[in-house]
Amino acid sequence: MATTPVAVAEWLGYATPPLWLQVVLAAVVSGVVVTVMLTTSALAGPWAKRKITAMFTDRIAINRNGPAGIFTIAADSVRLMSKELIVPDGADRPAFDVAPAILPLSALLGFAVIPMGSGLQLADPEIGLAYVFAVSSIASVGMVVGGYASGNKYSLLGSMRSVAESIAYEIPLVITAASVVLLAGSLRLSDIVAAQQGTLVSLGPIAIPAWYGFLNPFALALFLVASLAEVGRNPFDIGEAPTEIVGGYITEYSSIYFVLFFLGEFLHIFLSAAVLTTLFLGGPAGPGPAWLGIVWFGVKIWAVFLFTQWCRAAVPRVRIDQMLEIGWKGLLVLSFANLVLTAIIVGVIA
Amino acid sequence: MSQTEEPDEEAVEEPDPADPAGVVDYDALEALLGDAVVRRERHLNAEAFVVRADRVQDALSTLRTEAGFDHLSNVTAQEYHDRFESIYHLKKYDDPTQEVSVVVPTSRDNPVSESAEPVFRTADWHEREAYDLVGIDYDDHPDLRRILLPETWQGHPLGRDYNQDKPQIVEFEENVNPLADDHRESDTMLVNIGPHHPATHGVLHLETVLDGETVLDVEPDIGYLHRCEEQMAQSGTYRHQIMPYPDRWDYGSAGILNEWAYARVAEDLNDIEVPEYAQVVRTMSAELCRIAAHLLALGTFCLDIYGDFTAIFMYAMRDREVVQNILEDLTGQRMMFNYLRLGGVVWDLPEPREEFFATVREFLDDLPNRVDEYHDLITENELFQLRTVGTGEIDAETAKQYGVTGPVARASGIDYDLRRDDPYGYYENLDWDVITDDGGDNYSRLLVRMREVEQSARIIQQCVDLLEEWPEDEREIQANVPRTLNPEPDAEVYRAVEGAKGELGIYIRSDGTDKPARFKIRSPCFSNLQALPEMSRGEYIPDLVATLGSLDIILGEVDR
Repeated sequence: MATTPVAVAEWLGYATPPLWLQVVLAAVVSGVVVTVMLTTSALAGPWAKRKITAMFTDRIAINRNGPAGIFTIAADSVRLMSKELIVPDGADRPAFDVAPAILPLSALLGFAVIPMGSGLQLADPEIGLAYVFAVSSIASVGMVVGGYASGNKYSLLGSMRSVAESIAYEIPLVITAASVVLLAGSLRLSDIVAAQQGTLVSLGPIAIPAWYGFLNPFALALFLVASLAEVGRNPFDIGEAPTEIVGGYITEYSSIYFVLFFLGEFLHIFLSAAVLTTLFLGGPAGPGPAWLGIVWFGVKIWAVFLFTQWCRAAVPRVRIDQMLEIGWKGLLVLSFANLVLTAIIVGVIA
Repeated sequence: MSQTEEPDEEAVEEPDPADPAGVVDYDALEALLGDAVVRRERHLNAEAFVVRADRVQDALSTLRTEAGFDHLSNVTAQEYHDRFESIYHLKKYDDPTQEVSVVVPTSRDNPVSESAEPVFRTADWHEREAYDLVGIDYDDHPDLRRILLPETWQGHPLGRDYNQDKPQIVEFEENVNPLADDHRESDTMLVNIGPHHPATHGVLHLETVLDGETVLDVEPDIGYLHRCEEQMAQSGTYRHQIMPYPDRWDYGSAGILNEWAYARVAEDLNDIEVPEYAQVVRTMSAELCRIAAHLLALGTFCLDIYGDFTAIFMYAMRDREVVQNILEDLTGQRMMFNYLRLGGVVWDLPEPREEFFATVREFLDDLPNRVDEYHDLITENELFQLRTVGTGEIDAETAKQYGVTGPVARASGIDYDLRRDDPYGYYENLDWDVITDDGGDNYSRLLVRMREVEQSARIIQQCVDLLEEWPEDEREIQANVPRTLNPEPDAEVYRAVEGAKGELGIYIRSDGTDKPARFKIRSPCFSNLQALPEMSRGEYIPDLVATLGSLDIILGEVDR
């Protein structure tokens, strides 16, 4: 499957598009994709979060502006951007300003290689999966820089917690993903999606697809838990932990800087949902014609997002030491066991 | 009684035939204390020994170790025209009806008195408050600083010489930057948690010293919500002007429980008998308040553990709202009820009575399901147990040292509940249990509160049954109380009730006028909060936050 810029070039009549055209098309397409991602995840995300959490917690939530309060999205955007930007005296200036951009940037970079269905994929490098993990890990840099540059003790504590969390859970995350790579035999994300196209078993009229989530639900569970920690959501939201350390690394951020952090966090939730969908839920696969792919893809990542909100509403937050214990002593061991078992099974069968 | 009067031999309490074990042999105590005692006084609740200012520790430790008075309930300080006086109100955790007071007079020129802190840890804060507001110096006190007022405050506002009209002018030099002393040299970090922090449940400031994430030391800094409640009560008349204030101490829905503290002490002081019907109504409304207060405590505690306004917090609020509506029907107010009156309650149950009873019964019938839901969501959740079991522990002995009472004490295995041990209202005639748990940790405190909600529901159920059957012509809601109350001059009384957070006591000294000469509030939150450092040292910040939540303090009551 060709990536979107290449496909568009072919449609325009270029068998081998020149480099300049590829760059231009990539810029246009990524512009479109970024806009779509921003509006769906970062704008609809917080709105959905409020409505979903309200449902979990027996409330009504926003309902004044427009149907189901949908126009609050616009009101919120104006409000957040028009707020005063307060920079603390003790802030480490260039670092304090750079940090908020790093978080959303790393998430958006990650989206570049995700096959979103309906032919939408900006790039499809051979090392796609490794690339996603690499760029999404840059987010930790943003948290550390932001937390440290704020000159606030709560920020410092929060950033230290976030880093500890990232390190502890990045390894199980990658190791679990590696078991999928063993099954698919490729790091290229489009190959991984393609490998999940068949049918696993047919139970009468219901055909269970060969998604790796069905093939190896254990790995899916591991990956889900590790992603929760990776994006810092309950029970692992200790990086922000409002009732303990006020806001963690975003304590001192206000106005547009706050929006960037906020946006980055939501994008990261959606990115980790997208990776999970690609690895375990067949990517954009679903019933109906192929052009519906983006819809199915959207449904799946929103389902994962819903799951994170469910956890937030119902699960207590663990302590830092308990979180590290779960990561290093539990998930790491389990993910390696999963990898070894998968390797043996793949080796025996193939 | 005034100091000039001779001790009245006849005043020694007659043995109460109903409860012979509850009698204190004051003569034996006096012999025990020996020459530390200058003379004896009689307060309405107990005998008082006037003790020399340099023998306080002797007297208290004798009373504690040899006579079993292990609960320093309260310390009252006051200034007379010729002297200062500290009164230590002692009780027994096993039987709080056994009381004794230790009165320590000091001269006005040199108000120095020996500190009780080495004997009772809880005296630390109480004496700091006495120093702050009245101006008595305590010798041998480990840390005699102001506690409610700012460090720079000039004068002692409850003292007789204090000029209330003089503005407080703080010189620039006195107002030094508290951070000027930098801690960055050492390996530890000072973090100010509060006064504006999501976890402090109000305006509380915790000065916390951290080593990484571990709490090395924590010191609660209180007083941000000090509203001169004692002084306001002292300038109000007994009959009507004081009753609205108690609602504003523990404003976490516990209003009627607080009102009862004032009602009890003022009724004892003025010999007012409350009609039985009014007692039943009081008991029912007070227990409704307790349920509302405990649900709030449960919700906010879970807020600290879960970290957001999550399901459990909203569920607790939803159920509390039902109680809140019932109380609104009953009293006309959602929070500041002002429902009790001296000698009874302000009005009868709302008409139509059947409708009111039906609402209450509906709530009670539904409650077991709600409680089950809470158990499903919270107490049986493994992650929740991971966070709360074994954290914020305090053992019974330490808790007694700090004068801890209420659900916090009962969760440490101290079987102490004034509703049963020092009966008032209609509790004696009802069938209910005092809940205790041996864990002493955050989990136990939550469990005790949840079970107490069920017990309160039992009490309300029985009250509703009684009220429904009550003959219409015998529904007496108020005793006949004179328009103006002038208690005996120099009568002194200390009485406590079981508030939502523990023992809520009030000391009143009358001077013969229609206003109290001294009105001292013993706040359970004040004493419970003092035990926080003991519970949190060596634990992590999240545990400190959880422990603070499990103490269920209301800053309005801590600071008064």
